[in-house]
Amino acid sequence: MTQNEINWPAALRATDSGEQAAAVRALHDVLHTGLRIALTGRSEVSEAHLEDFAQESLLRVLDRLDQFQGRSKFTTWAQAIALNVAFTELRRKRWQDVSLDALMADGEQMTEPTMIADDALGAEEDRTRLVATLRHAIENDLTPKQRAAMLGELREMPFDQIVELLGTSRSAGYKMLHDARRALKQRLHAAGITGADIQNAFNL
Amino acid sequence: MRPEVQRLTREQVGGIVKMLSLTTDREFNCGECLQHVSEFAECQLVSQPVGEVIAKVEQHLALCPECREEYEALMKILKAGQ
Repeated sequence: MTQNEINWPAALRATDSGEQAAAVRALHDVLHTGLRIALTGRSEVSEAHLEDFAQESLLRVLDRLDQFQGRSKFTTWAQAIALNVAFTELRRKRWQDVSLDALMADGEQMTEPTMIADDALGAEEDRTRLVATLRHAIENDLTPKQRAAMLGELREMPFDQIVELLGTSRSAGYKMLHDARRALKQRLHAAGITGADIQNAFNL
Repeated sequence: MRPEVQRLTREQVGGIVKMLSLTTDREFNCGECLQHVSEFAECQLVSQPVGEVIAKVEQHLALCPECREEYEALMKILKAGQ
């Protein structure tokens, strides 16, 4: 029987312990193979890591079996969970010794803009006004946690690390950032800066 | 002005502006994206148009580099299996 022919949810819930064990082993192999494809070329990922990720992913998938709604292939759904498990752990290891304070207090130098269009006539004035309005809004309209989260994200700190340092949950952290973005957007609108102004000034 | 705000590079300000241009009132969070990303990826694999709900995955991926990294890895797996 091929992967596509297996009724995975039924097999993984099978009352026949032999059938269930075979399905669990097959799913482990699917996840392990997928992780190997996805993570190949990463020097920090060893065979032992791949096995750890596959095992942890397997447990996560089995734990969430009731959440599978059949809108995609089961294996695609399970691979997405496995990748989330693996990448979350890899990011955690990469950033485990960095604090949010340290990240915000780094000695980063002002750099020349690299993504800002310089060829749009009159755009420099628009950019200057927009940047000043935005800096003022970040300073005054955001809560300290919103500001810290946004600055951490801009410095490419993993979101899991940010929410851990802020002592909040992932969903609450995302809502916090979403509210912050909406507040900044409203401030720009209140200052008469339109979407067209933004696109023109930043060549979006 | 706070030093961390003063120190923002113009490139980072540009990053914020881009995020704001993509911000809508109702968005998927990372958990909701993970719930639907497999369906989105399969549609992308065969260039099939996505519905309104699944389109929110695309919007979230544009805003969230971590979910985008995982999505790109998922596409790598799916393409390898074709």
